[in-house]
Amino acid sequence: MVAMTQLRVGERAKIVDLSRVSDLVKRRLLDMGVTEGAEICLKCTMPLGGPFMIENCGQCVGIRRNEAMNIQVKPL
Amino acid sequence: MMHIALVGNPNTGKTSLFNQLTGTYEYVGNWSGVTVEKKVGVLRNKQAKVIDLPGVYSLHPLSRDERVVTQFLLTESFDEMLNIVDASQLERNLLLTVQLLEFGKPLAIALNMVDVAERRGIFIDQTKLATMLRVPVVPVVARTGKGCDQVEHMLLEKATEQTEPLTLFYGGAMERAIERFRAAWGTEEKFPVRWLAIQFYEGNSYVRDYVAEKLPEATWRSLYEQAEKEVQQAEQMSLAQLIYERRRSFVKEIIEQSVQRKEIERVTLTERIDAVVTNKYVGIPIFLLAMYVLFQLTFDWIGAPLSDLLDAFFAGPLTDSMTAVLKAIGASEFIRALIVDGIIAGVGGVLVFVPQIFILFFFISFLEDSGYMARVALVMDRLMEAVGLNGKAFIPLIIGFGCNVPGVMAARTIEQPRERLVTMLLTPLMSCSARLPVYALFVGAFFATHQALVVLSLYVLGVSLALILAKLFSLTILKEESSVFVVELPPYRMPQWQALWRSTWDKGKGFVKKAGTFIFGGSVAIWLLSYVGPHGVNVNMDDSFLAMIGSVLAPLLAPLGFGTWQAGAALLTGFLAKEVVVSTMNIIYHVPDVESLQGLMASHFTALSAFSFMVFVLLYVPCLATVATIYKETRSRKWTMFSIGYALVLAYIVSFVIYQAGSLFGF
Repeated sequence: MVAMTQLRVGERAKIVDLSRVSDLVKRRLLDMGVTEGAEICLKCTMPLGGPFMIENCGQCVGIRRNEAMNIQVKPL
Repeated sequence: MMHIALVGNPNTGKTSLFNQLTGTYEYVGNWSGVTVEKKVGVLRNKQAKVIDLPGVYSLHPLSRDERVVTQFLLTESFDEMLNIVDASQLERNLLLTVQLLEFGKPLAIALNMVDVAERRGIFIDQTKLATMLRVPVVPVVARTGKGCDQVEHMLLEKATEQTEPLTLFYGGAMERAIERFRAAWGTEEKFPVRWLAIQFYEGNSYVRDYVAEKLPEATWRSLYEQAEKEVQQAEQMSLAQLIYERRRSFVKEIIEQSVQRKEIERVTLTERIDAVVTNKYVGIPIFLLAMYVLFQLTFDWIGAPLSDLLDAFFAGPLTDSMTAVLKAIGASEFIRALIVDGIIAGVGGVLVFVPQIFILFFFISFLEDSGYMARVALVMDRLMEAVGLNGKAFIPLIIGFGCNVPGVMAARTIEQPRERLVTMLLTPLMSCSARLPVYALFVGAFFATHQALVVLSLYVLGVSLALILAKLFSLTILKEESSVFVVELPPYRMPQWQALWRSTWDKGKGFVKKAGTFIFGGSVAIWLLSYVGPHGVNVNMDDSFLAMIGSVLAPLLAPLGFGTWQAGAALLTGFLAKEVVVSTMNIIYHVPDVESLQGLMASHFTALSAFSFMVFVLLYVPCLATVATIYKETRSRKWTMFSIGYALVLAYIVSFVIYQAGSLFGF
């Protein structure tokens, strides 16, 4: 189990733990179907500590690096 | 008349469908949060009213635009719901459908984007879906209007049916909590108490406020706390989690039975485009390049030549023929002067910029419709984070380039209230299209060889100041709030010409309309003020009332490089709408066309003071319409006054520094 920030671009992973993510962000991710057990793929990252773009079921979502750091995933 | 509410996830095509059903035109785009308030239209066959609502993922609101939907369900009366569902994202769309079914109003589903889903290997058995949900399902292509006749037909048929609300079993602990709520609440006629209870326990803030109006605080608090405790004990989950999980397993069950998946290993076009435009290294340069091309097209390559043609027409054939007509019908000199020197000069001086403004709106519409807007939010988030905002705040700013009013409204999608406030306060610093005529006038006169570059510098100045002030505000008024950023990135699509044209026209017509009302009226008033003075009518303009008013301001403006009564008067009238600055100048300098005005201005301004003047016009105060929108959105007199006050101070300081420093260096 690693933080999402450890993934390489293009790598797929399963979300294991979202409990350390702030409530508001967790709600929004939930809204978009990104929840524990969901399979995601890291699509790209922005420079200088910028946001991450992840894909889940064909849906792309952008989140901040500090939130991604709090998301525990299991690489597939 | 029957009322039908359109409800669905963000960016699923609600407004497209609304436009198709009602034959009207409302603003559409390919990003979440295009519609921020409800809109009402009438069905083509005049038998029902349709209400378009902002997109929501659930009925539990996080941002201001989402509250609109919950508020609508609770407080307004309507007969049925049309739930528009994105076939390619069935799971999260149906999670909302479940909540709507629990609400119990007659409901029909319009299944949109079936083509997108099929390209992704998702095949939906619509009959099965309809049977399992016990509601009619009609496939549509909202953008082209395919299937809309059936939707219309179904809506009218459906209205007479009685519907039972969906009842999901949420587990023993939760069910007991619902019963306790029911006992405390008593009878309710407008909607199912069960729905209210579930939303209340889920933590829906709007519903909680609603409940708190009827139940004493001690009662609802203890209801909630007891439920929380029991559910935690029984299920080892929080209330919201339990409710979500139950709904999700229901939705999963439905999807399992009605959807077939085929593995399609194909890189989509969206992925290929994203590999470039959201690339780590070239993403930001590409955005800046796109902006640069946008300005070149608007000002240099297409817009300017068209504007010149129009100007030549107003100054030549139109003025001449109007003068001839007036002479022929024997109009008095007063009437001739009013029409030719007042109205044609004032309104025409602004209308010549119609081509440039339409081109600008066209490209902004293109950005919105293609899906690139959400990528801009992603690409710019790091920068915005550094100044205490988030990437989503960049969207209102870009829309603000077209017009500040929709820009201020677009800030509704920002979740954090204070971030939203700061975004609204800063949007007026974005150089809107109404300021463009002012730049064009001065740039043509003083910076003929570097037109686009000088105009671009003003846009950049506006953005830079907005970012600096964002930092300043976030260190002061925003202090206690952490910034949040989650953005949905929709698949790209090629904007349709028809939609693009309509959206351009819709935005641009406001400008033309303004020319016919505000600017027309303003021109007449200004002309009269310049025609009449304390010593009678048809006075020398320097003795007119307008000169008197302008002179009061002139000494104040002198340190900025334009201490003339003409500049003072123009700026004062510019509060109505910034284009009026140009109308006023046209009237004051009493010239037939932009070209000769530019020649004349060379004797009143230098290149430096012209630049300082443009900067002042860019910053000095949001226009009347923007101020009214800020007031409407913030509902605060204090913040509205603040938006005017800080802008004035900022404009004065920046222009002062530019003029004084420039003079020092001998420009």
